[in-house]
Amino acid sequence: MKAFEYFEVECEDAVGGDAYRQIAADILGDLDLIKVIGRLHIYIDPKVPLFLAVGVTRKLPRLVRLRDFANVLEQGGGVVIDISDETYLSQLLNILWERFGRDLVEQPDRWTIQIRSGDVNPSDIEDLVVFDPTESLAKDLIYALQYIAPEGFKVRRQLVKEGRFYYVASENTLEEGMVERLLAEKFAKIGVTV
Amino acid sequence: MTLVPITYKGGVYRHDEILDLIDDLGGYVIQKHHLAQEVVLQCLVPKEDIEYLRTVARPLAGEVIEAPLVGTEIAVVSPSLEIHHLPHTSCDVAEYLRRVGAKTNVIGLSRGFGKRIANLNIEERDVINEHDCAVYLLGNFEECIKEKLPTLRRGITVPVIVAGAPSKERLQAIIDPPAEGYVGDLGRVAHRMRKEEELDPLDRVVEEVSRVLSAYREEIAKDPLSISPARLMVILDEKLQITAESTHPTPITVQIAGLRVKVAYETYAEQLRALEIEEGVTVGDVAEVLPSRMRNYIWLKIRPFSETNIMV
Repeated sequence: MKAFEYFEVECEDAVGGDAYRQIAADILGDLDLIKVIGRLHIYIDPKVPLFLAVGVTRKLPRLVRLRDFANVLEQGGGVVIDISDETYLSQLLNILWERFGRDLVEQPDRWTIQIRSGDVNPSDIEDLVVFDPTESLAKDLIYALQYIAPEGFKVRRQLVKEGRFYYVASENTLEEGMVERLLAEKFAKIGVTV
Repeated sequence: MTLVPITYKGGVYRHDEILDLIDDLGGYVIQKHHLAQEVVLQCLVPKEDIEYLRTVARPLAGEVIEAPLVGTEIAVVSPSLEIHHLPHTSCDVAEYLRRVGAKTNVIGLSRGFGKRIANLNIEERDVINEHDCAVYLLGNFEECIKEKLPTLRRGITVPVIVAGAPSKERLQAIIDPPAEGYVGDLGRVAHRMRKEEELDPLDRVVEEVSRVLSAYREEIAKDPLSISPARLMVILDEKLQITAESTHPTPITVQIAGLRVKVAYETYAEQLRALEIEEGVTVGDVAEVLPSRMRNYIWLKIRPFSETNIMV
């Protein structure tokens, strides 16, 4: 497991800050997210109260396309997909059902899918994006931060986009502009200009 | 005769002799666990007979350990039952208190989290007040503990022990009015507490709870109860066969000045009140039979001698 390039918890209350550092490390470790996050800065102000986390994700595994785990052959009036790895099969079936309808998509056995439609281009099908790792990453990251943040902080704003993410939570409505100012300030600490 | 709380651990073989001996010495078995080949007894035994019990237990490879919290029921209060607060801390503390004989109930508040928004509802307040003492497991920030604790202990009449990440001295400084006990360096954590430095605060919880409850026992000793809770438990169980007909781990839970009887109040309350203890003295004469806020159980509050003028 690679450690973070940068990991800081900033808090006036030293005891609480240390405790949250441990909590964050435990939770990110449990959820297997340490290798995904490059830099992470957490800022907590119990007076407001406010919990803010900003970070940068590492380079993610690329998109999974159909050609990565199957071959597409033209046959009769449609195509046959010959699968070599079942990992993303359920996602693939869902996509195909949605696109062609259940009546045209058949799966005679575990390793084969037939599409009985005339207007299918095999090369198009080969490029089909079956799984996007960033989609579940955003969900997992936000879940982890929600779990790390003190409970009951329900006024919140979050974003996971283009290799960076933030999570701001409080139990009170925050002053206008405060979040933007803090985000810019904390992102600067991990070397990101917003 | 002073009864001392102990835990007996030994094999199943001939353990009935130990049960008989405790009975003959005038002690009480409060809880009996069968764990495969092992038997664990939580009991109250006369102080002067402990050595004798040890001698009898030796050939049976039995162990007699002092367990200061046998015969107490403790509320472990967690701000909520969310993943943030469970299972770590709450369960670790509850488990640790159980090892020294206490019966613990983890109470997850419905809205105990947050700083400004923390709340305690009437049902939670009443349930906590049915225990001998409450251990509040709070969080990591002084600021939050200071602001939320007054709300969380509003209406609580039992002794409160506060645990939080700040040191004991800091907790003492920020909590006003003072709580009965404080345990520092024990806040929210996200892993099981296993290391030595993490177990130390758990030991301090046990110490602090024991100290608070000894003070409570001394207070009661000034005006003794009309009947010992352990004795009342044995009588109730003999006459109503509660343990034999129940699947609860502790069908009758002993508290310092009362009992929680896990049978339906509507069905059994009258029968219980009229039950004769000895020479015409009934349970209703020495104790208040109340509906518990915990499910539909019965909560018996034993009256002191000064109120009843009866001692059985």
